[in-house]
Amino acid sequence: MKPIQTLIVAAFALLAITAQAQDVAALLKATDKYRMSADNLQVETLINVVNADGTPDKERRYKVFAQAKRQSLVLMQSPAEAGQKVLMLGDDFWLLMPNSQRPLRITPMQKLLGDASTGDVATMSWAEDYAGKLVGEEPCDDSGAAAKQTCVHLSLSASRKGVTYQRIELWIGKTRHEPVRADLYVLSDKLAKQARFVMDKPAAPTMVTEMVLSDQVSNHKTTHVRYLSRKERQVPPEWLNPMFLVRNPPLE
Amino acid sequence: MHRITVGAAALLFAALGWAQTGASATQFGGQVRLQWVGQQASGSGPLAQANALQSGMVELPVNTASLETELRASAHGLSSVVTLQQQRPESGATQNRAWVNELYASQGAGAWQFSAGKKIVAWDVGYGFRPNDMIQQEERRTLVSNTAEGRPLVMVEHFDASTAWSWVWVNPTASSDARAAAEPALALRVYQRDGAVDWHGFARLGAHSGASVGAAAAWVASEAVELHASLRYLQRVDSSAIDPAAGVLSLSNPWQAVTQSNVKQLLLGGTWTNESQLSLLAEAWWDGTAPSDAQWDAWSARNTQLGALAGLGVPAAAVAGNLAWQTQAFSASQSLRRSNVFLRLSCQHDAWQPALDMLYTPADQGRILTASLTWQGDRMQVQGGLRAYGGPANAVLMHVPVSATAYIAGTWTF
Repeated sequence: MKPIQTLIVAAFALLAITAQAQDVAALLKATDKYRMSADNLQVETLINVVNADGTPDKERRYKVFAQAKRQSLVLMQSPAEAGQKVLMLGDDFWLLMPNSQRPLRITPMQKLLGDASTGDVATMSWAEDYAGKLVGEEPCDDSGAAAKQTCVHLSLSASRKGVTYQRIELWIGKTRHEPVRADLYVLSDKLAKQARFVMDKPAAPTMVTEMVLSDQVSNHKTTHVRYLSRKERQVPPEWLNPMFLVRNPPLE
Repeated sequence: MHRITVGAAALLFAALGWAQTGASATQFGGQVRLQWVGQQASGSGPLAQANALQSGMVELPVNTASLETELRASAHGLSSVVTLQQQRPESGATQNRAWVNELYASQGAGAWQFSAGKKIVAWDVGYGFRPNDMIQQEERRTLVSNTAEGRPLVMVEHFDASTAWSWVWVNPTASSDARAAAEPALALRVYQRDGAVDWHGFARLGAHSGASVGAAAAWVASEAVELHASLRYLQRVDSSAIDPAAGVLSLSNPWQAVTQSNVKQLLLGGTWTNESQLSLLAEAWWDGTAPSDAQWDAWSARNTQLGALAGLGVPAAAVAGNLAWQTQAFSASQSLRRSNVFLRLSCQHDAWQPALDMLYTPADQGRILTASLTWQGDRMQVQGGLRAYGGPANAVLMHVPVSATAYIAGTWTF
């Protein structure tokens, strides 16, 4: 092949890669809309953890202020955790305990603690945190009704250091790009959890009503993350300051 | 005065309870804790020596059961935390106590926040040692975490997205002669968030102790590692020390208030957590307010001299009394020795959290080992553990009144 032809092929290959990256970014943005319907949201979340034998383990309630620029404030409202807060500002995280005046700076690894980590609860979008490639079209699932549907398989890698999962294998609806299921891998590339997404209207989905997480590492429990309500709300800037939150101010 | 404060708090609670029906912003909650602490008295040290000479003259550590109720309420800008405690020492009468941890009013105006009353304010970033808690110093490394008792103060704060300023006038009504925790002082804290690092700057001007300045930082260095550091310089510190003019045998308590000058405190620490939820905390600190090695050597020599006097016909009661006074050395400072190392290993498995920690004093190789297990349910928490003091015979930690502690506590949150 002549040099000029080589250059043309390389240019086309580069264009194809760039176009695919743009496609993936656009697909992720479309997928994110099913959980994060506006830039700034207040989301009431109910979590039910079920043991491997199907018996109920525990229930937790959270209020999440999911804000633009990858900022989230999680207020824990169940009696066992009442008053605890987790603040996530981009790649930085703080845990605030009700009886302590010290906001604890926590590492991404500490964010993973718990059946439904605060990362699972607070993270409502992928487009800003992940880049990836289009793997292709596949059946949405190996069995059940979803097996008959066709999904688009995306392989995502973290583009930032502080995200909960380093790699995500994501399957989204071919037509509407709603999230269907995901395999979530931690930093060591170990499969930590598998997620399934329950939509409000399966035939014409508009939003995710529930995320079901199956633990694949330790206890094999299943965590149901139910989004009870979403409403647009932008919080005052001081609410996203850990030193303000440590005062236990009323946040209503 | 104490009763009046408690009474006022009770009235406040009654008012808040009434208001709960009509105001959605009212919050009421608390916890009840039933706890048993078993203590084994040390066979060495001045208290043990005093007891051996004159049994019954000094109070030895005893097993204690307690019931503690903590009530929290807030409404209309008023916040309060009150603790009611019933404590029953083994073979002793039940003692009832109540105190107000917090009772303050706060009001906000945009980014400005104003508070006045009795309030807990803690600023530092460490776990085992927090030199920059300039408003009040709480007991660290307790077996069961307790809510601290706040200080009377007036506080003005300003917040934006990444900066916080706090100006505090603590003990505003106290006399300028007041010392230690009661000393009136002005304090300032400035906080700046800078990506993965939290920066803190501190200053305090006490009526008696003069100026002190400090700095602290917490940095998330990697996915698994967090590092933190604190540094404080104090112009003067109120403490206590034995009167150098006192003889071996003293007719009155030879311990007297002293003021140390140009004192430094430093802490370096970090945490590491892995994917399996195993976590290691490591801290090392220097506490210049603690007695020096020379002071401990002199203290130890005085113990020996007092013990020898008992065999020379000196009245046992006099020797035992002087030995009992020697135990005041244990409360002269937050740290017993100036250099300290603290390690804590813990993990989380479902509702269970086992932990193992050690405080080590390199100067004399003393150590405190603690093993604990916590179970956390929805509203119930049960925890128990063992703490043992060890080291060579001359280690200061081998001379404290307690050689081992066992505890179990059940806490119900409502």
